[in-house]
Amino acid sequence: MTASASLEQAQPDRRPLKRLGLRVEPYLYSAPAVIIVATVMLVPLVIGMTYAFRDIRLLNPFSGGFVGLDNFRRLAADGDFYLALKNTVFWTAASVFFQFTLGLILALLLNRPFAGRGIAQALVFLPWAVPSFLSGLDWAWLFNPVVGPIPHWLTALGVMSQPENILSDPDLAMWGPIVANVWWGIPFFAITMLAALQSIPADIYEAASIDGAGPFERFRAITLPFLAPTIAIAVLLRTVWIANFADLIVVMTNGGPADRTQIVASYIFTTAFRRLDFGYASAIAMVLLVLLMIYSLLIVILRQTLLARA
Amino acid sequence: MAAIDIRAVDKSFQKLKVLHSVDLSIDKGEFIVLVGPSGCGKSTLLRMIAGLEEVTGGEIVIGGKRVNDLPPKERNLAMVFQSYALYPHMTVAGNMSYSLRLRKIAKEKIATAVAGAADILGLAPLVERRPRQLSGGQRQRVAMGRAIVREPQAFLWDEPLSNLDARLREQMRAEIKKLHRRLGATSIYVTHDQIEAMTLADRIVAMEAGTIQQIGSPEDLYERPANRFVAGFIGSPAMNFLDAQAAPANAGHARLVTEDGLTFEAIPGLELPSSRQLTIGIRPEHVLLGEAAGEGAKEATVDLVEPTGMGAIVHFRFADISHQAYHLGRASWRAGDSVKVALPTERLHLFDATDGRRLN
Repeated sequence: MTASASLEQAQPDRRPLKRLGLRVEPYLYSAPAVIIVATVMLVPLVIGMTYAFRDIRLLNPFSGGFVGLDNFRRLAADGDFYLALKNTVFWTAASVFFQFTLGLILALLLNRPFAGRGIAQALVFLPWAVPSFLSGLDWAWLFNPVVGPIPHWLTALGVMSQPENILSDPDLAMWGPIVANVWWGIPFFAITMLAALQSIPADIYEAASIDGAGPFERFRAITLPFLAPTIAIAVLLRTVWIANFADLIVVMTNGGPADRTQIVASYIFTTAFRRLDFGYASAIAMVLLVLLMIYSLLIVILRQTLLARA
Repeated sequence: MAAIDIRAVDKSFQKLKVLHSVDLSIDKGEFIVLVGPSGCGKSTLLRMIAGLEEVTGGEIVIGGKRVNDLPPKERNLAMVFQSYALYPHMTVAGNMSYSLRLRKIAKEKIATAVAGAADILGLAPLVERRPRQLSGGQRQRVAMGRAIVREPQAFLWDEPLSNLDARLREQMRAEIKKLHRRLGATSIYVTHDQIEAMTLADRIVAMEAGTIQQIGSPEDLYERPANRFVAGFIGSPAMNFLDAQAAPANAGHARLVTEDGLTFEAIPGLELPSSRQLTIGIRPEHVLLGEAAGEGAKEATVDLVEPTGMGAIVHFRFADISHQAYHLGRASWRAGDSVKVALPTERLHLFDATDGRRLN
């Protein structure tokens, strides 16, 4: 290979057509993928972004004109938006925290050998395979005292004074979709963490136990440093994903009661497809996009500094 | 530093029994090498001493204290792993000081200990590096450094040189020996390499199939192997074996006749019932070739000559069985040549044909 490569360098091919062919070859191969991504993603994205600067209301035939930054001015003064933003932070933080913590514990349990581990691993993955829409409906029913057992159990345990639907309690409603989301999202963390755990060489743990480290110290000094890069990436992905994830909320509470479970993503959905105000929805979406990009950038920088230190 | 006693130790993994009643007594400061083929149980025994594997039966006593149920961290042993098992996210100094930091030893003391170990191992300029920035030999040294900073009861070595190339392995072997001379610490060293076993050991423990075949000094194992397994395992190139039968005795001394019709007259001091089946062993370096074979030598055909520089390994063939001779100096024979071969009687090892134990 090296011999022929140096030969080509020494005697450049004189046929221009062949030279051109070689030069464009990689672009030709990647063209189908690039064209698909551009037509179904990039073009709609740009068109959608232009909506943010126009007045587009489906039910108003006279709308469609360019309005400059009007949509953003309206947004800056929109109390519902700020409530949704606050709810998004709570929804995302609580969901990611519990998904990660429980997923990691599950991964640690699945990482030690026991009889039936293969089946347990397959079962753990199962919630992931349930469509989010279905799991939202399921959980909504589980929380409903007419058909679901959870309120009755909570009452029997003394957590609740009487079996009520927490989804209709403004102070507790957000926990409904969060519980559903945690159940649904644990497999993602469990499987990612398990894969990372299994890549840690066993003899490093053995060396540490001979060096005098107990179980907790081994977790702190070996498991966590080994998992850190994976944790950072998984948390980043999940955070962006969950902040954008409106399915469960739309299905379970539709943002209510009194907008107490309205997150930005579900607010965009409602604005666009219920109120049919596409211009305003697009403006909200752009703000969310910018916020998530800033967040991702911060996490990537954090990860790079952590990796550089390691 | 401590003596270690292994008393009737058994080990099973589920139904598979891998160690059968192993007894071994190790003195303070002794360098013991466990040697044997893969799967003979040597690593398992080492890991049981370290506390990484549970003891199924019998007991392990370190420094007079039964340790069967103690976790590794309470046994105060140091271990060097084949893969080195360095902590990749810690510096060289961090790796070496980890055990001391866990024991909450004063910072100045740790610094002195690490600097001392780094000095002994020639790691002083590298202490701020991380394992992935080091070569294989340097990582090996860090693993040794991690062991020697702590003044443990004993050092356990699990095939520490297997991942190094041949030259580096020789060099590190010599360093381990010097280190042992300097520290005088009790050491148990597992290897499948009989050269490492011969060069390092005060005493070698040869193991096969979960049992100890022989315990003795390297010279013992080489000169008087207790059975056919040890005879075949120790020594390179390996010992030649010939099947033979005892012939009617001659003045009280045994006479042996091999399959290919070789006769050995008068093995001194050995009496055997006539027609007993046995195996004759002779080391390649004791086989005499050509001129040296002298009178009464047999003719054999040269199969192959492998020059080693210092000498040559000559493969020759009696009847249809191939044997090897180690000829010091230059070998002038070529494949297909006929060569005179003599097997001196006083160099023969005799083993029982059925159970393999030594007879002479």
